[in-house]
Amino acid sequence: MGSAEKKKKKFNSKKRNYPQLTDNDEILNTVEEENKQNKPTGKKKVKRGKENNVEVSKAVQSKIHDNSPKASGEKKRNKSKKKRIIEEKNSAPINEFDQHGAEDGDDADNSNDTSQVQEEIENSTRPGKSKKAKKKRKKDHDLLKESEGLAEKSTEADEDEVYLISSGDEDCSKGMKKWITEYHQSRPGLKVLQQRIDEFITDHEAKLEQERKEREARAAEGGWTVVVHHKGRKKNTDSESGIVVGSVAQAAVEEKMAKKKKNEVGLDFYRFQRREAQRNEIMMLQSKFEQDRKRIQQLRAARKFRPY
Amino acid sequence: MDADTTATLTDTTDFKVKELLKEVHFDQTPAVTKLVDDTVSAIKKAISKIPDDLQVTADLAPGFVRDVGADKVDFKFKKPKTIKIGGSYCINCVVKPVVNVDLFVGLPKECFHEKDYLNHRYHAKRCLYLCVIKKHLMSSPSFDKVEWSLMQNEARKPVLVVYPAVKPVEAPGFFVRIIPTATSLFSISKLNLNRNNVRAYNRGGISQPTPKYNSSILEDMFQEDNADFVKKTICRWQELGEALILLKVWARQRSSIYVHDCLNGYIISILLSYLVSLDKINKSMKAVQILRVVLDFIATSKLWSRGLYFPPQGQKAVSKEEREKYKESFPVVICDPSTQVNVAFRMTSIGFYELQDEAALTLQCMEKCRDGGFEEMFLTKIDYPTKYDYCVRLNLRGHTEVQTLGFCLDDECWRSYEQKVHSLLSQGLGDRAKFIRVTWRNSPLEWNIENGLSILDREPLIIGISVSSVEKVFSVVDIGPNAETKEETLKFQKFWGEKAELRRFKDGTIAESTVWESDQWTRHLILKRIIEYVLLRHLSLSTENIVQIVDQLDFSLLHGAKDPVSFSAILLEAFEVLSKRLRLIEDIPLKISSVQPLDSAFRFTSVFPPEPHLLAIEKHSVSRLKLIPTCIQPLEVMIQLEGSGNWPMDPVAIEKTKLAFLIKIGESLQNKWGMTCTATEDDVNVFMSGYAFRLKILHERGLSLVKKENGNKPKRVYSTDKILFIRGQHASMINGLQGRYPVFGPVVRLAKRWVASHLFSACLVEEAIELLVAYLFLKPLPFNVPCSRVAGFLRFLRLVAEYDWTFSTLVVDINNDFGPDDHKEINENFMSSRKMSEENGQNISPAMFLATAYDKASEAWTRCSPNSMELKRLVAYARSSANLLTKLILEDQTDSYRWECLLRTPLNNYDAVVLLHRDRLPYPHRLLFPSEVNKGRHVAHGNASKAFRPFLLPGNVKGSSEELKTKLMVDFDPLSCFVRELEKEYSMKLKLWYDSLGGDAVGLTWGRVCSKKRGREEASEDETDAIDVLRGVGELGKGFVRDIYLLKAPRLVN
Repeated sequence: MGSAEKKKKKFNSKKRNYPQLTDNDEILNTVEEENKQNKPTGKKKVKRGKENNVEVSKAVQSKIHDNSPKASGEKKRNKSKKKRIIEEKNSAPINEFDQHGAEDGDDADNSNDTSQVQEEIENSTRPGKSKKAKKKRKKDHDLLKESEGLAEKSTEADEDEVYLISSGDEDCSKGMKKWITEYHQSRPGLKVLQQRIDEFITDHEAKLEQERKEREARAAEGGWTVVVHHKGRKKNTDSESGIVVGSVAQAAVEEKMAKKKKNEVGLDFYRFQRREAQRNEIMMLQSKFEQDRKRIQQLRAARKFRPY
Repeated sequence: MDADTTATLTDTTDFKVKELLKEVHFDQTPAVTKLVDDTVSAIKKAISKIPDDLQVTADLAPGFVRDVGADKVDFKFKKPKTIKIGGSYCINCVVKPVVNVDLFVGLPKECFHEKDYLNHRYHAKRCLYLCVIKKHLMSSPSFDKVEWSLMQNEARKPVLVVYPAVKPVEAPGFFVRIIPTATSLFSISKLNLNRNNVRAYNRGGISQPTPKYNSSILEDMFQEDNADFVKKTICRWQELGEALILLKVWARQRSSIYVHDCLNGYIISILLSYLVSLDKINKSMKAVQILRVVLDFIATSKLWSRGLYFPPQGQKAVSKEEREKYKESFPVVICDPSTQVNVAFRMTSIGFYELQDEAALTLQCMEKCRDGGFEEMFLTKIDYPTKYDYCVRLNLRGHTEVQTLGFCLDDECWRSYEQKVHSLLSQGLGDRAKFIRVTWRNSPLEWNIENGLSILDREPLIIGISVSSVEKVFSVVDIGPNAETKEETLKFQKFWGEKAELRRFKDGTIAESTVWESDQWTRHLILKRIIEYVLLRHLSLSTENIVQIVDQLDFSLLHGAKDPVSFSAILLEAFEVLSKRLRLIEDIPLKISSVQPLDSAFRFTSVFPPEPHLLAIEKHSVSRLKLIPTCIQPLEVMIQLEGSGNWPMDPVAIEKTKLAFLIKIGESLQNKWGMTCTATEDDVNVFMSGYAFRLKILHERGLSLVKKENGNKPKRVYSTDKILFIRGQHASMINGLQGRYPVFGPVVRLAKRWVASHLFSACLVEEAIELLVAYLFLKPLPFNVPCSRVAGFLRFLRLVAEYDWTFSTLVVDINNDFGPDDHKEINENFMSSRKMSEENGQNISPAMFLATAYDKASEAWTRCSPNSMELKRLVAYARSSANLLTKLILEDQTDSYRWECLLRTPLNNYDAVVLLHRDRLPYPHRLLFPSEVNKGRHVAHGNASKAFRPFLLPGNVKGSSEELKTKLMVDFDPLSCFVRELEKEYSMKLKLWYDSLGGDAVGLTWGRVCSKKRGREEASEDETDAIDVLRGVGELGKGFVRDIYLLKAPRLVN
């Protein structure tokens, strides 16, 4: 194992020195693929090395792993993916971190699955992460952002791990449990709802009252107010201020307008009107013709004439 | 055609017809003529190599000679008298896609005896002659294949089909038909219609006349003359030829009339020549006008009852007695110019009625449809599955009953069998059916004529039934003859067997009758039962050989073994009670003035109208040990209050006030009637009679308040009241339509199920589907109004697949009250919306323009979705589903799996697939097919949440009813929660495809990735991104998501 670790470090340093050396990475990839078929042990090493450039603590984990009774490749895949997630979590703001921690705890509770066991193991190892590793991470943070993706990509491209989503029954932040909770929360009972509405209405009325008072105050100040034409039901007086506004009924106005229209000169009275109308008509026809032509072209393009 | 000539075309129909002609006309280019000439001369050469006086015996085709029952068939081969091109090629009217040239081979007189017209000797020798030719053609390298075919499906008259070895691009699938002719081979008087020439055809020793047999020979004798005559007529001016082509296209699109017992190209050309000779067509007419004249003549002319005879030219006219003779022998008479042969001798009266009906329908199309009915006439395929309401296939392979009397007498056994089936069905169905069409095609592929005719029953016999009216079809009792009429009663009893019952009816009559008891929701199966009963009783068929297309898709609408629509009566009753109770409420400030149902369950168009829920009944007993679902679908009901001036003006305050009213209403109902009421800030539900009704208030003044426009988006946002108002309008409109057309509901339900099961729930809203189906019923041309769910469903699929969505509006005018102004307004709206999207360079929206009386700008249902990309996908799915369905109906397919494929969506069409926990779906029994994915990368797996189960556990079903009611979840749908959150989080990255009716799969496609220039090496980074995104998706659906598979990483869009 010692030699393996050394190797990892070597890789690590390499990575750090040439973070943008993607070609190198690709070579690794191909090597890896070759190894995959021939020498499973070799592959492990390379992989581990790569993982290491993400997080040193993995070394410890992989050790544990190797000790576990079923050290199948599949398991490892699972795990490394988990790790990445954890890592992401680590880099996330603290409050979120807490949340995820809780989530991990849930998983542990449900742990019948081997992969979950692994996660548990991971959790236990996390606090023991060496300072060195942390430091390294900080240092590399910027570089990592670039190389991380690549490294991850290459590992992921090779691996087939399946990310496990917890049932989420113990936390209400996401998923089914959240929806259920929201459902129940939105039904506090008729009394409470009524109360809320009452509160709202009281507030609303208070606000309106306030506005009215302000308006009145302003009116009192200046001694006059702007009369606004009101839509809707016609009242002679403004209910709020008692000032007489429009005093003509809507129907009456409309009637008047209708009468007025009749007296107006017909649309084709003047010569210029007729000429304009004619011109408009021609324009309309022309535009319609243009449209038709366009449509025909489109139809032909779409080959809409084939009956079979 | 260049721009100039386009400009001169003022009428789009003219232009379209021209384009159509160009498309279908088989141009005789130099290359084509060379090909034809080469092929024909190669055939001539091969035939000329056949040695004269070659002894021909029955051994060449023993099976055929035996089956037609001919004796003395040996002859010495002589070279044909003539070989010349005839048919549509010589008048330059070949219509693509079937590109063929008819080659008439004149049989030499030396090969026949004087009396060979007797007992199928002519037919046998004709066939043997072709056998010889075939043998020699086969040995020539110029020909790829030489096959047998039949002349108009007549088995005793085979023809040779020759495929040349050269396959030019201009004429794909080109072939030559070798048709023997028998000009002046026999004495015409011997073939008089009254004569018996098949000795075996007799009744009690008295020979019967054999008009069909005689005509079959006469047809060959006058084939060449008539072809010459047609050529002379059609070539007189160009428009005639064009009209002939159009008529052929028209007929070919209609598979119920372009068959052996109705029309063919030859009859059309004779008919056209006839009308020319009557001067019904003149030179100033355009092709379409000629077509119209012909159709009008077919549909309405009185001459048909007399028979069509060419006006005499010099020779004697047909005498009255002769006409009588023709009339007696044939249902339809189109006598050829020589007056000796009825070219329509194969036409049956049923075929002719069908023809008249089609012609009349087409004339209606020309009047009523856009562009003079161009699309309906020429581009719409009118095949059995779309035309007929019920299709039945009889598999008669190896069914010996067909040919008990021999294969060919006067008529052939298959034709007689068609007649028999038809008469049985028309007797059995009575006035339930308007049209019954029975056809049986008998030309199998790769048929060896030498082996005889028994193989001709390979293809299924197809029956199409048009229903007279849905009410009649759904009636449970058929009343037969009165008990006093002995003779008829006996006949009735004989026909129906033990099914005949003597019954006393309400009006006091006692009559024989048949009763087909059935539930309301299985009424559409009555016809099926009758057909099966009649066919099984009278034909020696087994059940599995009768395939009826009726209920194959019903599985998708059932809950268990029952159609949930059967609960509709209870639902409507409950609604009545509710609305009464609502109106009676006194203890609220404003009285309720109207109550209107909104949910589609009230109008029979909901795929799954809810069943009464045990826990939603006011006083229920929990003792039953049934599985109790956790969730209940609410049914929306719209309420209007009496007017008042005290409403606030602010939209939020209005909504709050509404809620306050609703809560008061709920409380009142609770206190007075013991109805439970639950409420959230958004809706109020009351439980009654097993249903949850969701109450909504429409506030009229709210209609005028339009929500403030968001930023600078030009799209209008409807206010809550406007939406409610529109939904109310839609509901009452569709409800009215459903009342007029009882089949409307089932068709809509199938359509909705189809849309949902192909994960289009997000693209096409329920109301839009209802409008599309409504269009089928309101504008059925060129069909009749659909009267069965399968036909309606198929037409829905074809509508979606074939409608010109980009350039046309679809106007649903329910009460036929749109005037020209309305159409103009709609068109203007359409044009401006198209123009706007054109100017903005956006996708076309609305891609599907549905205009209705309440929404002339298509803003209500299809404003945002489907967008043009979604519509494209929808159209593609509809097309392939329609093709599959057509195939399923017509071809010999009996397994239910293929039918399921119509609703089983291929999951590999998505970039990623999310599978959900089936046992966490709110209504698991609605899941059609459990989805599995075995392709792609398994990205994530999730455990099911314990917080939700679709059914209440037996342990929980305890306690008081009030307690239990709190466990009931109204309108809880994890899928919509999941979708909502995904939309919130990933609406830019992902496009969701899901089935809101209860599917367990969500399809994901990547949205447009921003067009950053990326190197190749980073391509796989996308996959990483993709996986991260998918994990995020999984996290959002915790406890609900089962598995996530990545099938395709996002594509780069540059």
